[in-house]
Formats: sequence, structure tokens, C-alpha cells
Amino acid sequence: MSIPFSGTLRRSGGVVSAIGKQLKSVNLKGVKRVTVQFDPFAENVKSTREFLFLLSTPKVTQTNPKCVVKTDIVCDRQPAQIKFSLIESAQELAKAKEIRFRSSNLSTLELLQLYNKHVSTLAPPEEIATKVLTKAEKQKIAGGGGGKKAPKKK
Amino acid sequence: MSNLMQQALPLATSRTPLLQFLRFRGKINIQKPRAPHYERARVIAVTTPKYPDPPKAITCFKKRTQAQPENPYNDIIAREVRNWLEHSSMVAIFHLNSITADELYAVRVQLFKQNMHLKSYGRKIIANAVGDTRFEAILPLFHSNHCIVFSADQRVGTLLRLTRKVPQMVLLGGIVENTLLSRNELVAYSQLPNLQSAQAELVQTLNMAAGNLVQQLQTHQQNFVNVLDVHAKGVEQSTEADTSKQSDK
Repeated sequence: MSIPFSGTLRRSGGVVSAIGKQLKSVNLKGVKRVTVQFDPFAENVKSTREFLFLLSTPKVTQTNPKCVVKTDIVCDRQPAQIKFSLIESAQELAKAKEIRFRSSNLSTLELLQLYNKHVSTLAPPEEIATKVLTKAEKQKIAGGGGGKKAPKKK
Repeated sequence: MSNLMQQALPLATSRTPLLQFLRFRGKINIQKPRAPHYERARVIAVTTPKYPDPPKAITCFKKRTQAQPENPYNDIIAREVRNWLEHSSMVAIFHLNSITADELYAVRVQLFKQNMHLKSYGRKIIANAVGDTRFEAILPLFHSNHCIVFSADQRVGTLLRLTRKVPQMVLLGGIVENTLLSRNELVAYSQLPNLQSAQAELVQTLNMAAGNLVQQLQTHQQNFVNVLDVHAKGVEQSTEADTSKQSDK
């Protein structure tokens, strides 16, 4: 007796490709300022440092050049945390001024997933920039509306 | 028979030459060998070796990745790291964010001009170098992208000034004169006054106890002298005023 197919047709690419996939949807538009605070000698700081590195890549920073990423190094073995200060429109959406992740027990992939779930969605929708018409296009529109103009005499 | 012929007619023998050429130009065929004769095939079938497979249960839950053989080059680099650590009086460790090679080179040049050397090694190599030595405490700093600055002198202020211009380098901690310092301690160290002024401050503190006692013993006499001074000045001023009045008259 044959059983119906179950399982995957393709094998997963592993953690690295999952991180890459999450990174593609990371959007900093709703964030004014990111403060990453950690103690380098504390335990479980690796994921925070990796997340900081990923936030500093050009592709992510280009989503919002105005967003500042600040790093606070502390020496009192506090657990690591990442704070995202939101812009006004995002604050209204989220009903909070800033979102804080306590990242000592989260892996890099989980941090990115949570970020995409909670903060990337707060990005304001992109305004479609009005297209600048060239002279030829304007003439075409005008010519189509008001009849053909007389051809120029050289 | 050929021996008999050799003895009787030495020039009549024909011997096969030492070198007999089997192939001449032309490409040899190894991809489509012809099917062997049945007898030959039978011999081959009987004589091919059969190696026993290891029982699958041994490798059942083990990963299929091959264990990498240990590379002695890693030990050489570990020795280099240990040398740098032991012979530099200042070691600073930075977290490195995403940075272009051009920018990193510019920083490297700036640091080199101040006799500071920017280097980076892998975590396994550093663990190998530092594992059982007194430098073991710096290991947690190397879990992520990093770089190390070695220097023979201890100009922490210069280092901080140069790296402040580079936002991608985040100071995590360092070793100055065999003492592990955190980031805040390094910043405080850079703001300390130089040795002479520190020595002067120490001398002053030591003298303060005795000086305090002397001052307290002398307060009454000092007060009396001050009052007399003020009084004397007052008398002088009044006598000057009198003489000027008389001369005016």
C-alpha cells in the first residue's frame, strides 16, 4: 500500500540561509535609534554581537540612513539588551515609545525573527514618488488631448 | 634450439629488441574498454577483493562530516599570537562591525604610524594560543567579529582618539601592563595624569598629615600676625594721610 507523500522536497539550507532570509525583510524605517547594550565578558553575548554586526551591514543601514546604531559597553555583568526607539508614526501603531529585547537567551535567528515580527511591521508605508514627466511625454499628453498642433516650419 | 643456433651461426640469430613500442601517436582508449573474453572475465570476477562493510549501527546517529585533520600551521600561528601577547605592553580588543577593507586599511595605517599594530586571528587559534596561560580571561571577547591592536608603549589616549573616528570599531577591553582592564577602566586609565604629577600628588598626600598638625599648632600665632599686619597697614595709611594734609596746608 502506498502512503501519500509527506516531508520536504528540498532540504533546508541551515541556520545561515534562514538568517539571510530574515535579513532580507529587515526594515529600519520605523526606528529612530537603536541602542545595543552588553557586557563583553558576560555569558551569552554572542547573539547580541552578531545581531549588532548584521544591523551594521550596508543593506540594512540603507533602509533608513537616519537611524543611529549606538553601542553601550557596560562592565557590571548585566544581561544584554537591545532597545529600538520608534518614530512618531510607529509609536502610534505600537502604542509604545520604544521596544526592548532582552537578548541574553535569544539566538541570532530568533532576534531577527522577533524583530521582523514586531518592528519591521511598524515601518511607514512607502510613498510612491510622483513621476517627473519629460517634455516629449508632456507634449504627447497635450497633443492627445487637444488635437495635433501644426508642424514646425524650419 | 636458439642456443645451438647462437653457437653455430652467431650472426643468424634474431633477438627481440630491448625496447618494443606498443603505441604510436593516436589516443589511447580508457573510457570504452572492450568486453573481456569470458575466461578472462571469470578470472576477474573471482579475484576482485570484497571488503567487509562496517555495521551501519555504528554510524547511525553520527554526522557524516569528515573530521578535519589537525593542521600544524595553526600551532605556528598560535605561537605568533602568544609572542605578540607577551611582548606588547598594551593590547586592545575591539568588536568589528561591517567595514570595508579600504576603511580598515586606513585605520591600520593610522595606527601603524603610532607604533600600534592592528591584527585579527580566528577564535580557535586564539583559544589554542591562550588556553592554559594567564591570558585565558580574554577568550570570551572573541566570540564574534573582532580585531586586536598590539603596542609596545601604553598610549591609550592616542588609541582612543584614533578609534573614535571609526564608528565600526567598538572597544571591548584590553590588557595594559599585564592587567586586564574593561572598557571604562581603559578610558579612565587614559585620563590619568602622567607619572610625575601622580608622584607629586602622592608626596603632597603624605605630607598632609604632618602639615595639618603644624598648621593647627600655628593658627593662633598666624591669626595674631595677620591682625598686626592689618593694623600696621591701617596706621601707615593714616600717617600718610596726615602728612599729605599738613603738606597741603
